[in-house]
Amino acid sequence: MTRLLGIALVAGAISVPAYSADRFDQKLTPDKQILHTINRLTFGARPGDLGEVRRLGVEKWIDLQLHPERIPENPELAARLKQLTTLQLATWQILEKYQQAPLMIRPVQPLAGLTSLQVCKLMQGGTVDERRSVIDSLSSDRRQQFLAFGPTQALDGLADIQQEAAAARQADQQARQAEFRRLMPPLMDLLTSEQIRVARNGTDAEKLALFDSLDAEKRQKVIRSLGPQMLVNLPNLRRESMVVGQPQVYVNSELVDNKLFRALYSNHQLEEVLVDFWMNHFNVFNGKGQERVLLTSFERDAIRPNVLGHFRDLLLATARHPAMLFYLDNWQSQVQRDDIRPPAGSFNGTPLNRPGLNENYGREILELHTLGVDGGYTQQDVIAVARAFTGWTVYDLQRYAEFQFNPATHDRKEKIVLGHTLPPGRGEQDGLEVIDILARHPSTAKFISKKLAQRFVADAPPASLVDRMAATFTKTDGDIRAVLQTMFSSPEFLSEGAWRAKLKSPLEMAVSAVRALNADVTDTFALSQRIADLGQPLYGKVEPTGYPTTGEAWASSAGLIGRIDFATALSGGGIPGIRVDMSRFNFKAPAAVASDLLGAAPTPATLTAIEKGIQEKEATPSMLATLVISSPDFQSR
Amino acid sequence: MLTRRYFMRASAIAVAGMGAAPSWLVRAAAPGESTRNKILIAIFQRGAADGLNVVVPHFEKRYYELRPTIAIPAPGKNNGAIDLDGRFALHPSLQPLKPLWDSGQLGIVHACGSPDGNRSHFEAQDSMESGTPGRTTEDGWLNRALPPLTAETSSVRAVAIGAKMPRTMRGDRGAIAVSDLQQFRVRNDAATSILESMYAKADAPLMAAQGKRTFDALKTIESINRTPYTPAVGAQYFGEFGTGLRQIARLIKAGVGVEAAFAEIGGWDHHSNENGQLPPLLTQFGNSLAAFARDMGDRMEDIVLVTMSEFGRTAAEDGNNGTDHGHGNVMFVLGGPVRGGRMFGHWPGLESEQLFERRDLAVTTDFRSVLGELVHQHLGQKTEQVFPGFSIGEPLGVLKT
Repeated sequence: MTRLLGIALVAGAISVPAYSADRFDQKLTPDKQILHTINRLTFGARPGDLGEVRRLGVEKWIDLQLHPERIPENPELAARLKQLTTLQLATWQILEKYQQAPLMIRPVQPLAGLTSLQVCKLMQGGTVDERRSVIDSLSSDRRQQFLAFGPTQALDGLADIQQEAAAARQADQQARQAEFRRLMPPLMDLLTSEQIRVARNGTDAEKLALFDSLDAEKRQKVIRSLGPQMLVNLPNLRRESMVVGQPQVYVNSELVDNKLFRALYSNHQLEEVLVDFWMNHFNVFNGKGQERVLLTSFERDAIRPNVLGHFRDLLLATARHPAMLFYLDNWQSQVQRDDIRPPAGSFNGTPLNRPGLNENYGREILELHTLGVDGGYTQQDVIAVARAFTGWTVYDLQRYAEFQFNPATHDRKEKIVLGHTLPPGRGEQDGLEVIDILARHPSTAKFISKKLAQRFVADAPPASLVDRMAATFTKTDGDIRAVLQTMFSSPEFLSEGAWRAKLKSPLEMAVSAVRALNADVTDTFALSQRIADLGQPLYGKVEPTGYPTTGEAWASSAGLIGRIDFATALSGGGIPGIRVDMSRFNFKAPAAVASDLLGAAPTPATLTAIEKGIQEKEATPSMLATLVISSPDFQSR
Repeated sequence: MLTRRYFMRASAIAVAGMGAAPSWLVRAAAPGESTRNKILIAIFQRGAADGLNVVVPHFEKRYYELRPTIAIPAPGKNNGAIDLDGRFALHPSLQPLKPLWDSGQLGIVHACGSPDGNRSHFEAQDSMESGTPGRTTEDGWLNRALPPLTAETSSVRAVAIGAKMPRTMRGDRGAIAVSDLQQFRVRNDAATSILESMYAKADAPLMAAQGKRTFDALKTIESINRTPYTPAVGAQYFGEFGTGLRQIARLIKAGVGVEAAFAEIGGWDHHSNENGQLPPLLTQFGNSLAAFARDMGDRMEDIVLVTMSEFGRTAAEDGNNGTDHGHGNVMFVLGGPVRGGRMFGHWPGLESEQLFERRDLAVTTDFRSVLGELVHQHLGQKTEQVFPGFSIGEPLGVLKT
């Protein structure tokens, strides 16, 4: 047995002791099949979903979800996506429009005005007198700039000038702070104290009236200074504040809006679940460099079109995408060439080195994207794959960020990848062939099938199911839709062993709660922060592994407390941007409310605790909803 | 001024008011009893920190040959490393740790790590956190390092900072994860008491296993949260990692029975532009550790803190002013019981034939040798139970005997 499988099985054994492996051959009752299918193929049941699946039949409904183009989209979704303006833009357009305004106020060139001989004397150990005379030769402006920003070793032994330098640095810092304050004035420089009170604590109407009374420039400065958190109840202003203050964060926040609106409202639920699954499989962290801007295209152009397609196409699309090339450093990876001079410039006083190979992507494509860590590759394969992908880079990251193959930085020598020889001198073809080798490797078929089964069936899916899915993968040349069909039509999928065997991730928990309440969501900013607080900032996983797909990592006390707190806030109407209507629970008994929200009768432990514990006067619809959404029953799917 | 004991008594009474106070808390609040116990804290640097630039072997000419661009200049040079013993030196951003080395609270083990040569972050972290390289274990080493639960065990005996339960802490010896003490609360008292009884009887295992301890911890932490926390004068925690250590410090100083704690700091995977990325991270790391030691004051006599990272990085720099996945790394051991101010372990050298697979710093000290000594000598636990199948042999002597 492989090591990874071993861990998963043991972990499964701790977390789900009640469900032993043989329960995978016990078929679910027809009612359970309906709820189970919804729980696995969607982000949670909305009122009416059970009836819809019952009407169509489980098999027919699954087939439709596998062909989302046949399902009319929900007009509620289009209405919400309409306000998001960056989703359809090309990366270069986003880069052009949403540049972070540089806060560097004045360019600093401490060595300006010096001859190269003078620079040499200052930098490379001229005598005290030589250095003093060079510094004294500067005009007073240049002298100030040199003292504030020049290399400190140039002042060794010049105590009087060192003192002057300290004063110069302080003066410069004060000037910068003043300039900064002029560009980014605090509220007290903009508004009267009464106006500040309104801006911070007034009603929404009072705030709007105040902003409308200001001239355009001042209005913008006030909105930026208030920041998105203070404007969380006024989505348009919240967005405006982000556009001005943190344009690139704003771009990514639209992608978060897009993800959550689709999860909440799309009728193509399986497609959205798969976009989430593959985005996590090919994880890219939004906090690295310009990723916030690149992710919009990554999801839209590389992931989304391929989630039900062939794995090879998905893999290639991610391999060529600037978001992945940048995240895993491949854009910089180059053949080591002795005939190329090291780049000019320096970093912290040391010269830049001759560029060369970077193994990061070469390793992660093997370990995380295709074969899996036990898939049978060696360090030599990692290096060979990295060499094959040299030259796969990004054209002008700052302005265009488009894929480019650069033959000059490609390693032209022969490579051997997993026993396949790549002949020398073929350029871009090397990487394409590696994609083919990996996409068609039996370890990939198994690794991908296992991960899908972990998402849709159980943390420790039966090996026989994974084997059948892997066989489909191989037979169909990695047709993801066909692999899913094999899984969804398997007895294991609709078995007692799979029933409620998955712990919801924070995203799944939060979205399923909103869907169960049929709440009206007009803005997802606060919701996304709640999900981040529960441990899953969207697009915010630093490591290339993505978030855990099994339950044990999410089962923590912080998670439990956070979920209860979330349920309380949601049911009490305390999450900005989400309106809940509890009237359908008026005068309903706890059992009825629980069955409604869970889609099935609650477990006896849950129902008994509510019925015994609740005081008559406390049994409001929102209290009952809080208890059900916080219950163990609701945490699994 | 309120004394700590007074505070404990007052808050225990407050807790008693909202339900049964845990017996150990009542005990802790009783006058005349001490709650000082031994504490072991593990810090994980996720992403494979570059040990060779963190603790620099500046006596090795080869170090500078292997890293022409990214080597840290020798002590005395501009931006040079901070010399420790004439052979090794701290990265300049770790200046705050130097006083702890000088005062004998900080010991350093170099060239240590896991015997398996895996260069996968996930696998190597799993192996180090489980404490059982090469075999499958369901729980984490720091959980196994605690005595079994009894009715008297504190609900916050083992605390991991973060929303997710780290592998190191997983297991049946009662650990909780806390992202932020202030946020570890439910603004709904009526619902909380019902949910407490609901989770106590739940048969769905996933969250339910956490249930009882979570609700107990909720009461304890609520009582702690009643008093604002002010770290000791001069203790300046840095960044998110510092915020985590501050939570641990606060729990320990509240005297509520913490025996083990865990915090992590990510972002060490520096395949490119290492000298741009390492200094801010080390600034956060070093300042926060120093702040913690300062904040703890003489409580450091009961505390041992140990740092680790899944593997080191290539001895030579890569093609992008960074380093790729390697093998041997460095561990810091900090605390009153530490025989600090000295380097431990055996330095394997950096010549090509001395490197692991001719590319990485070799591992000459198994990480379990370091942790095993702490578990045995500091916590008084049997090493074989925590690291099954591993024979610790002659202890390194990181702790005072």
